[in-house]
Amino acid sequence: MVRYTFVELNAAIGIGIRWIHLAASVLVVGALSAPLIVGRSPRATAVAWEERVVGGARWLLLVALAAGLGTLGYQTALVEGHMSAALETAALGRVLLETRGGHVWLARHGLLLLLGAFLLLRGDISRRVDWLATRGEAMLLGLVALGLLGASGHAAAVEPGTALAIAVDTLHLVAAGVWAGALLPIAALMAAASEERGADVRPHAVLGAHRFSRLALIAVLGLLASGIWSTSSHVSSIAGLVGTAYGRLLLVKLALVPAILALAAVSRWRWLPALAGEATAVGRPALQRLRQTMSIEAALALVLLGIVAALSTTPPARHLEPTWPFSYRLTLTALEDAPDLQLRALIGSQLAVLGLAALVAAFLIGTARRAIFAAALGLGGAGLVLLLPALAVDAYPTTYRRPTVTYHASSIVDGARLYREHCAGCHGATGDGDGPAGQGLPRRPANLNAPHTAQHTAGDLFWWLSHGIPRGGMPGFGEQLTEDQRWDLVNFVRALGAGGAARALGPEVEPGRPRFVAPDFSFAVGPMPPQSLRDFRDRRIVLLVLYTLPASRPRLAQLARNHQLLALLGVEPIAVPRDATPDAIQRLGADPPTLFPIVTDGAQAIVEAYSLLSDASHVEFLIDRAGYLRTRWAPQGPPVREVNRLLADIQQLNEEPAGTPPADEHVH
Amino acid sequence: MRMWKVALLLNLALLLGIGGGYLWWGRRAERLEGELARARDAQALSRSEQEWVVRGVVRAVLPDAGVIVISHEAIAGFMAPMTMGFRVASPQIYDGVQVGDAVRFKLRGVAPNGVVIALERIP
Repeated sequence: MVRYTFVELNAAIGIGIRWIHLAASVLVVGALSAPLIVGRSPRATAVAWEERVVGGARWLLLVALAAGLGTLGYQTALVEGHMSAALETAALGRVLLETRGGHVWLARHGLLLLLGAFLLLRGDISRRVDWLATRGEAMLLGLVALGLLGASGHAAAVEPGTALAIAVDTLHLVAAGVWAGALLPIAALMAAASEERGADVRPHAVLGAHRFSRLALIAVLGLLASGIWSTSSHVSSIAGLVGTAYGRLLLVKLALVPAILALAAVSRWRWLPALAGEATAVGRPALQRLRQTMSIEAALALVLLGIVAALSTTPPARHLEPTWPFSYRLTLTALEDAPDLQLRALIGSQLAVLGLAALVAAFLIGTARRAIFAAALGLGGAGLVLLLPALAVDAYPTTYRRPTVTYHASSIVDGARLYREHCAGCHGATGDGDGPAGQGLPRRPANLNAPHTAQHTAGDLFWWLSHGIPRGGMPGFGEQLTEDQRWDLVNFVRALGAGGAARALGPEVEPGRPRFVAPDFSFAVGPMPPQSLRDFRDRRIVLLVLYTLPASRPRLAQLARNHQLLALLGVEPIAVPRDATPDAIQRLGADPPTLFPIVTDGAQAIVEAYSLLSDASHVEFLIDRAGYLRTRWAPQGPPVREVNRLLADIQQLNEEPAGTPPADEHVH
Repeated sequence: MRMWKVALLLNLALLLGIGGGYLWWGRRAERLEGELARARDAQALSRSEQEWVVRGVVRAVLPDAGVIVISHEAIAGFMAPMTMGFRVASPQIYDGVQVGDAVRFKLRGVAPNGVVIALERIP
């Protein structure tokens, strides 16, 4: 508890120090690259500007080093849990030598110190090659020190693809350093050139502005591309963007980007062409304007770096459960089984597309631009007004929460027990919504077997279970049931809904058919350690056989005789006795020898959970390598079937291209 | 000294430093790998004949082949839990043993070859 308040109180200090360090590092790189971007000039004003910029870089380097010490102290205090650790040599040493962040810190600050020493050298740079070597070396050292920051941020924790994530972050940092850092020094050059006595440097400044503009375009494109890439790897969903602290900070950052881009566009397409105009009337005022625009851009970029500093201390959205902030969400599933909404959405989307086309036309066509623009806005607006409400469904803060209890047979069985105790009264013993206690309610209790169950997310169900549905008369169970119990119920309801739909699953593999996630289960054979269905993921197809003796004996004998062939085709049969006895192997007998797993431990939960999918006395499921149920064979009479038909299904599964997303990421 | 020479020397020094560090690190990793391999070899050399007592469930008895198939627990230093056939030292060993029996058996041999030398049913 104490540690958390400590973290909260000092989070602002930590962000502040990181911001200063980051901003100073970026500005150092910018100051050192600006002379290289603009090029060398012997004019007095240019030489004075370069002196000033490099002198500034020295001071900024000092600031970066001091703030760097601060970030190290802060990180140590954070790791050790108390503020005074920031001054303890032993604690600092541990962080420096034993953490990845410490190693990167050492390398970066070593390079910054080296850069400092290099900047203090007062060599003769009057010859071009010496000047290039001096400025280039300084920029290189600064850039490497800045780019290495990518190796200690969130990117280092991305898995798989750590190296790529670090490379992308490094590219982002380097581009930011060259572009955002150089804005201020180059604005200073514009200012010098716009003055009366700066006339000597004016052609040089104009040339430099053009060169910087070309470079800035490349850098901004690189920033956008790498930024989008790492956003998608750290956030991964809209819910993560609007529902977590990380996502919302990122939104603020993204909101600043268009402003900066707009300023950059004004610089490039408005002021830059004007620089070459007549000096006093056009050229010098344009230089002034360019300086102003670039200064504002630089200020915005510094604010943006502050957000980056805050982001670097915030856990990325992909590690958090998002809290949905709106009372509705937009989804295409809202249109399923609703013909009137479908028509409305169709008309709305057509209107919106027309509006978009008109908008493009408004920019392309010279005449009647205003009228077309107004029409475009009207059409687009009307289209969205029709379309969006049709897609909206109710949503709750937990809508995008993922179940913390896995979709597992034992959880489903626990959920079924809780269902009988708390829910069956209203929702009915089989979930049809016809329980005796539900008769007098304002709204009929939901039929949990109806296909619409699949349209709600697990998080929706969790919310209703926790808080109830007041206008429908459903009570909330947040007080009575623990969070895990509520997730058990969610898993049970999900299995119930899937059970109703899975009855449509046939005995043969149908490509493109809706796939049902196979509930995970654990089982053991004799004294062997327990295994779970998940262990077969990506490796084997599982043939799950729920059997009843004696009727199933011939079928099991048939499978036993074909076991070697099945194993060769990548199939593991798992046989589960419906009566769940520990002596199941004995009862099956010795002839023919059955060598695939006969479940002696854990059978009960499997039978109970999978009975929701079929209650036939003998039933076989094929579960593909991604963890989805693909066939369901539940014969009414004796279980007799040619083994070749099973082999044909297996063949088909083996021929399917890999790449289906694994089953548990498929949360409804 | 001319500045371009300073920059060049500095870069050379950095490259040498980083390259040297990388080589040192690689050499160290190589040495550690070598030590690991030697330790593994040493362990393999000590693989003289050993005995294990293992629990399992009989899945099939194949008297013609002199083999008994058992789903067994993990055997330390020998193999992971699995269902597999073991040769038996003498046919008397599976006298009275039935499929589905839980058993405790004694395995003797040099991995990966083991022979069942004794077997008893456990309740």
